[in-house]
Amino acid sequence: MKHTFWTLTGILIFIAVIFFLLIPVSRVLLGSFQIEEKGAWTLQNYKTFAIYRTYWISLSNSINVSMVSSFLTIIFAVPLAFFVSRFNIPGKSYIIALSTIPLMLPSFIAAFVWVRLLGRSGIFTGFIQSLGIPFESIYGLGGVTAIFTMQFYPYVFLMTLSAFNTVDESIEEAGRSLGTGPVKTFIKVSMPLVLPSILSGALLVFMTATENFGVPMIIGEQKPFLAVQAYMEFTSEIGDHPGMSYALSVVLILVTMTSLMAQRYYLRKRNFIQSARGRPLIKELKGWSRRIATGYCFGLVLIPLIPFFVVLLISFMEMRGPVIHPNFSLQNYIYAFSNSARPIFNSYFLASMATLASIFIGVPTGYIITRRGAAIGACLDLAIMLPFTIAGTVLGIALIVMFNTGFMVIAGTWMILALSYTIRKMPFIARSSSSILYQLDPSLEEASISLGVTPMKTFFKITIRLMTAGIIAGAILTWVTTISELSSTIVLQTPGWSTMTVEMFQGIISDDMGMATSFASILIVSALIPLLIVMTRFKDEKSVLL
Amino acid sequence: MAGISIRDITKRFGKLAAVNQVNLEIEKGEFFTLLGPSGCGKTTLLRCVAGFLNPEKGQIYFGDHRVDGIPTHKRGVGMVFQNYAVFPHLSVRDNVSYGLKARKIGASEQKDRTRNALSMVRLEGLEDRLPNQLSGGQLQRVAIARALVIEPKVLLMDEPLSNLDAKLRIEMRGEIRDLQQKMGITTIYVTHDQEEALSISDRIAVMEQGVVRQVAQPWVIYTKPGDVFVARFIGSTNILQAEVVESTANAVVVRSGSVTIGLPSDNEFRLKRGDSLQVALRPESLFFSDSNKTLSKDYWPLNGKIARYEYLGNLAKYEITLSEDLKILVTDYNINPTQIRKTGEAVTLYYPLAQALIFQEDLLK
Repeated sequence: MKHTFWTLTGILIFIAVIFFLLIPVSRVLLGSFQIEEKGAWTLQNYKTFAIYRTYWISLSNSINVSMVSSFLTIIFAVPLAFFVSRFNIPGKSYIIALSTIPLMLPSFIAAFVWVRLLGRSGIFTGFIQSLGIPFESIYGLGGVTAIFTMQFYPYVFLMTLSAFNTVDESIEEAGRSLGTGPVKTFIKVSMPLVLPSILSGALLVFMTATENFGVPMIIGEQKPFLAVQAYMEFTSEIGDHPGMSYALSVVLILVTMTSLMAQRYYLRKRNFIQSARGRPLIKELKGWSRRIATGYCFGLVLIPLIPFFVVLLISFMEMRGPVIHPNFSLQNYIYAFSNSARPIFNSYFLASMATLASIFIGVPTGYIITRRGAAIGACLDLAIMLPFTIAGTVLGIALIVMFNTGFMVIAGTWMILALSYTIRKMPFIARSSSSILYQLDPSLEEASISLGVTPMKTFFKITIRLMTAGIIAGAILTWVTTISELSSTIVLQTPGWSTMTVEMFQGIISDDMGMATSFASILIVSALIPLLIVMTRFKDEKSVLL
Repeated sequence: MAGISIRDITKRFGKLAAVNQVNLEIEKGEFFTLLGPSGCGKTTLLRCVAGFLNPEKGQIYFGDHRVDGIPTHKRGVGMVFQNYAVFPHLSVRDNVSYGLKARKIGASEQKDRTRNALSMVRLEGLEDRLPNQLSGGQLQRVAIARALVIEPKVLLMDEPLSNLDAKLRIEMRGEIRDLQQKMGITTIYVTHDQEEALSISDRIAVMEQGVVRQVAQPWVIYTKPGDVFVARFIGSTNILQAEVVESTANAVVVRSGSVTIGLPSDNEFRLKRGDSLQVALRPESLFFSDSNKTLSKDYWPLNGKIARYEYLGNLAKYEITLSEDLKILVTDYNINPTQIRKTGEAVTLYYPLAQALIFQEDLLK
C-alpha cells in the first residue's frame, strides 16, 4: 500500500517550510557576512559587534533579563502549581482560567500601564517614595524582568501543574513507605519527576522573553536589547545593506537555539511518562495556613491582570495627550472609530487568514508527525521547531529580505503579514493536533480502512471528525494570540494594513493615551470573549493551551 | 468466502524479522488461531494479511486471488481490534452500517443487513446508543457486527477478548465460535492465551520469534507438541535434560542427574547410549501410588519427597524433589481431602511411558 497522498502532503509542507522559512533565514545568515549588497564575504559585522559596547550590552541584557525572568517564574509559579495541585485551595478552576489570560494579551500593554502606575511620574510612585522605600521607577532592567515574570509565569505554572497532577499517588506512597518523611519524599521522589516540566516551562519563558520586542522598547529606556536593536538597525539602515541588523539577528537566533538544544539534551533521557492511576491526595489545610495559601495563589494570578483591568478603566476617561482626567467619557472610542476602524478590521482579517492557513497546514503536519512516523515525520517535527527559535523581529526582517524582490514580491502587502503570522502560529496548531492524535487510537482509522473506506476519506470522516473540538479550541487560541502579535508586525507594517497592536504601540510611543487605551481595550475584549468560549465550551481540550 | 494462503511471508522492522518466512494454508471456513507470546510476530502477520503492513517478501492469497499489494480498503477483510475501535462519535447503528455506506449499498438493504447483524450479536434495542453508553462486552459485539455485516472474505481478530474480564472472556469466546460456525467464515484469530486458543480453534499455529513452530489441531498441539518451545508454552510441562543409558527394542532408559527415567521404546528416534535428549512430562500425567504396588510395565515409577504443595480446591499442585538438583511439578486431579499430602512426605509417582515425550534439541542455541 502506498501512502501517496500523505507522502505528497508531507513533501509540500516541507517545501513550504524551506521556501518561507529556511531560505529567508539563510539569507539573513549570509547577509550578516556582507557589508553591502552582493559585496564580498567578510566578518566585518561581527567585528563591529565585538568592538561596540552597546551590542555586547544588548546581548548580555537580553540573556540576563530572560534568565532572571525564567528563574523568577520558577520561584513563583512552582509553589503555585504545588498548592493548586495538592491543597484544598478554593476556586481552583478560576485560578487556572485566570492564569491563562496573560499569555493571550500583549505584554507591552502591561508595560505601558505599569509605567503609568509606577513610572517616574506614576500614580503610585510618589506614594511608594513617601513611604521611604528607595524606589525610583519601573524603568530599566528590573522593570522589564518584573513584567516578563508576571506575563510569562503561566508557562511554568500550567506545565508544572499538569506534571504534579500526574505524579502517581502510589509513587509518593512508595517513597513514604520506604521510610522517608513527606518533605524528603517530595524532594527526592516528586521533584525529580516534575523537574522536566518545570524546565520546559522555564525554557518557554526564556525564549518568549528573549524575542520580546514591546516591553524593552517601552520600559527598557536606554538599555539596549537584542530584539529591539535588530529592529532599530534594520529600520535606520533601510535602503543600504542592513548587515549589522542581520548579524544581530543571527546572534539572537543563536541564543534561542542554544537554549532549545540545551533543553532537548537535558530532556533526552528524562521523559518520565506517568500513568497516574490515582490522582494525588489533596491535603486539607485549615485556618490561617489555608488562607495564606489561597491568598498567595489568587494574589499571584490577579496581580499580572491589574494592567489589563486598569486599561479598560481608563479607556473610558477623558484624556488630553498623556494627561488623564477622571471623568467618564466615550471620547477615546469615538476618536478611535471616527479616525478609522480599519486597524480593528485589519487585525481580525489578518488573524483569521493566518489561523485558517495554520489549520490548513498545521493539522496535516501534526498528522504526519504522529501517524506517519519515520523519516518525514521526524524532519517535519524538527522543521516546525524552528519558528519557536526565531524571534518575531528576525522573522520580519528575513521575510522582507526574501519577498522584497524576486519572483514573489509580497512585501508591502497584507499577505506578508498573514504569512509571518502563519509561520509563527502554525507550529502551535501542528503541536496541538499531534497531541490530540496521540490520544486517538490508530485502530479507529484502521477499522474504517478495513471496512472499505480509503485512507484519505478516513482522515476526513473519522480522524478530523474526532479532532474537531480540539482543532477549534486551538484555532480560537491561535486567533487570539495572533491579534496580540507585535514583534514581527512592527517590522512588516505596511500602509493601509496597520493593526491594533501597531496603533497602540504608536499611541504609546507618541503619548497619545486615548488612542492607545481605546485600542488596547478593544483588543482585550476581542481576546477575552473567545478565550471565555474556549474555557466554557471546550473544557476538555486543555491540552491546546500550551 | 475463501481460504487464505500465506506463502513465504517475511516482514522486517529494521534488522529484526518480526515475521520470518511463514507459510500457512488456511482452509475455507476454518477457524485458525495464531498463538504465541507477545512479540512473537502473530499480530504483525495478521496485519500483513489485513494490509496494514507490507511484507518484504512472499505472497498472500484469498482463494485464488492474490491480495498482497492491494490496499486494505479494497481487500474485503473484516477486522476486530483488541480495543474494539468502535467509532466514538457514531451510534451503534451508524457504526455497523459504516462499511455498508462505503460500499454504496441501498438504504433498505443497509437497514435490513444492519438489523440482522445486530440481532446476530444480540444488540437489538441498543441501535441509538452511543459507544460511551455501552459496556466492554457490548462494544466488542458492535465491533464484531460491524466487521461481519460487510460479508468479508475473511475475518481477522486481533486479541479481541483481552480487554474483557475473565468471566466475560469465556462467555464471548463461545459466542464468537458459534457465530463463526454459523456463518462459515474463514477466520484468523490472534491470541496469547493458550486456553482460549485451544477452546476456540479448528487449528492453531504456534509462533515464536517470527517463526511458526507448529501447526495442528488443538489436541495435537497439546498432546504431541512439535518441539520443546511448544511443549513449554502450551500448558505447563516438566522438561528434563537427560542422557541415554540403555536403548533396546524393549526398553529405553535415560538418566537425568541421578534419576533414572523410562521412555517409550517405540519412539521415532534412533537413540544410542550416551545421546543427550530432553524429556517432557506433563504434570497431570504423573500420579501418586503406593510404592509396594507394582503397576504394569507401561508405567514408570519415580521416588521423591514433597517440597511444596498448593491446594486449589478441585486440584492440588505439588513440587516433588526427585534428587538434589531435580524437581518436578505434579498436578493431582483426584485429591482425597482426608489425605492431603504434607511437605517432606516421601512419595512414589508413576507415569504412563507413552506420555513421556522425547525431544532432541540443542537448547543452548
